[in-house]
Amino acid sequence: MHRIYVHPLPVRIWHWINAFGFVVMIFTGFQIRYIGLIDLVSFRTAVVVHDWIGFVLIGNFFIWLLYYLFTDKIRVYHPELSPMKHFRASLRQAMFYGYGIFKGDPNPHHVSVYEKFNSMQSMSYQVIMLLLVPLQFWTGVLLWDVKRFSGMIDMLGGVRVVDTAHVLIFIFFSGFIFMHIYLATLGHTRMAHIKSMFNGYEEIEEEPGSGK
Amino acid sequence: MGSSLRRITAIKARLHARLTLVVRLVLAAAMLFAASPSSGAADSAISQLDEQCLACHSSKGMEMKLANGDVLSLQVEGAAFAKSVHSKIGCAVCHADTSFENHPPIKRKIAGSREYSLAMTKVCESCHAPVAKQYEGSIHAAQLRDGNAYAPVCTDCHSPHAVMAKQAYEASTGAPCSKCHDPIFTAYTGSVHGQATLGCSSCHNAHDVSAASKGDRLKSACLGCHQDALEAHQKWLPNAGRHFDAVSCPACHSPNAKRKVDLRLYDAVAKERVAEKEGVPQFESRARLADAKGGGLDALALRSLLRGFNSEGTDTTLRGRLEVSTGVEAHQLVRSAQAIRDCAKCHQQGADPFQSVTVSIVGPDGRQVRYGAKPEVLNSIISVDSVSGFYAIGGTRIKLLDWLLALAVLGGIGAPLGHMTIRWLFKKYAKRISGKEDS
Repeated sequence: MHRIYVHPLPVRIWHWINAFGFVVMIFTGFQIRYIGLIDLVSFRTAVVVHDWIGFVLIGNFFIWLLYYLFTDKIRVYHPELSPMKHFRASLRQAMFYGYGIFKGDPNPHHVSVYEKFNSMQSMSYQVIMLLLVPLQFWTGVLLWDVKRFSGMIDMLGGVRVVDTAHVLIFIFFSGFIFMHIYLATLGHTRMAHIKSMFNGYEEIEEEPGSGK
Repeated sequence: MGSSLRRITAIKARLHARLTLVVRLVLAAAMLFAASPSSGAADSAISQLDEQCLACHSSKGMEMKLANGDVLSLQVEGAAFAKSVHSKIGCAVCHADTSFENHPPIKRKIAGSREYSLAMTKVCESCHAPVAKQYEGSIHAAQLRDGNAYAPVCTDCHSPHAVMAKQAYEASTGAPCSKCHDPIFTAYTGSVHGQATLGCSSCHNAHDVSAASKGDRLKSACLGCHQDALEAHQKWLPNAGRHFDAVSCPACHSPNAKRKVDLRLYDAVAKERVAEKEGVPQFESRARLADAKGGGLDALALRSLLRGFNSEGTDTTLRGRLEVSTGVEAHQLVRSAQAIRDCAKCHQQGADPFQSVTVSIVGPDGRQVRYGAKPEVLNSIISVDSVSGFYAIGGTRIKLLDWLLALAVLGGIGAPLGHMTIRWLFKKYAKRISGKEDS
């Protein structure tokens, strides 16, 4: 067993602020949408908290973006530039989660400093971080002050269209967050990945016959 | 010089019999004004010539039967006339068509009392041209143009022989508006504005009174006095600017009112509400055509209606507005401390305002022409496009998205649970197999 430093401090700070923020956003999002069905806080409180945390998350997003843009760690998102190889690796990973893991097969992905994500992760995180999250922030800001951004809202098709896009992404994240937590428990121990997101070090099990 | 005067005198003498009463009376009145300084005093004393008219016309029960059978009262209350602003100009200025030759007996025929009132508005216009111009832009004038012979004209609001200066109108009685709008005035007297004895014209103007639903004029009337309203709302109300656009003031400030949503046809290019073209009304016929079942427009019918309006290459959308159901409710405004501040009154499923929906267009007279729609249009995925300009979080949420969310959460929880269960089963199965192999 040895340790590799895979989660630098800025990434960990971003991650936990993001995690806390997304939980609050999902919670307040439910409260805003389902007032009357859920009455834990008032509608107004939920909206105000939702707005403030939303802006915190937008600021926090730039920690992530600037860190990866201005360090060579950006390679973790595209260690493999060949689409075919990437696709094959993704398929192998899907086969592992869908079948191999039950039989006790080893994880086909081997963590290293520049390959901390498996192929499925790197692909899905790029979609999430470069498409869904910015779209959610954008629609959120538009809905935060509909009057101020009425020109852009009209251009996009109206407030209902913008809200529907916001809610669709909210739906995705509401389901995704459970999957994310579950997948985080699939390390060599249940807490291995979660612990690494606190201290930055991923524990790597020695493979039989590797001599390490 | 002397011969010219003689000639004029001679002409005057020849025309004397044909001169109308008005010329003579006006001249006489002018002479009276010039001769007596007290005659122009504020006590509005009646001139001697007017006294002559009143000698007959103050007789009780003096009336005449008109061609259509109407009875036109010819009685003028002398005391009221003396107090009126018109006492200074005298009878003849308005009744210029009455001459010594035709009075009495009356030679001309008057068709009816309404026709007479309509004809007399021309007389009012001759002195009050600016006011008449304002009136032309009013809902009352629009109703008249629209063929409503009973739409209010000058004499309906201003009793012709007792017309008073503007300041003399008693706001607390609502006169003359309450004559027709009594239920609204009764509601209004109990409101915060009624208690402050503001008159109707404070918000609606006196002569260019417009349809309540037309443009932003009434909102501007509110904000004209309550200039810091937006700032005050921004302190506690998220998206205050949007609320000001999409929610009428009474919707919150008349807390006991029944509220509803009006989806207004809006021209996205011209950036204004769509109005019926004069003479070619098409909204109602198109709405009826779209609403084949007749129970009110559903989501598909609404789409079809919009397609009809957009068939000529226009970009017509719907902009929603939350408003109160009746004019009476719109006038029952309360003190701001009693206004609705609970967001949940609207922002939850099944909230009262979203149970009643209409679609509207601006009619030729400025009033709204409405057609009923089913409340489901506010919650249907089909309406995302057609009702794109109206959305109240929570209150008009799309049902399909609720199901998707439930599916996502159940999937998010269920998939890991299923995966864990399969892992556990595999482990157990593998142990059993390996146990059998060991034995």
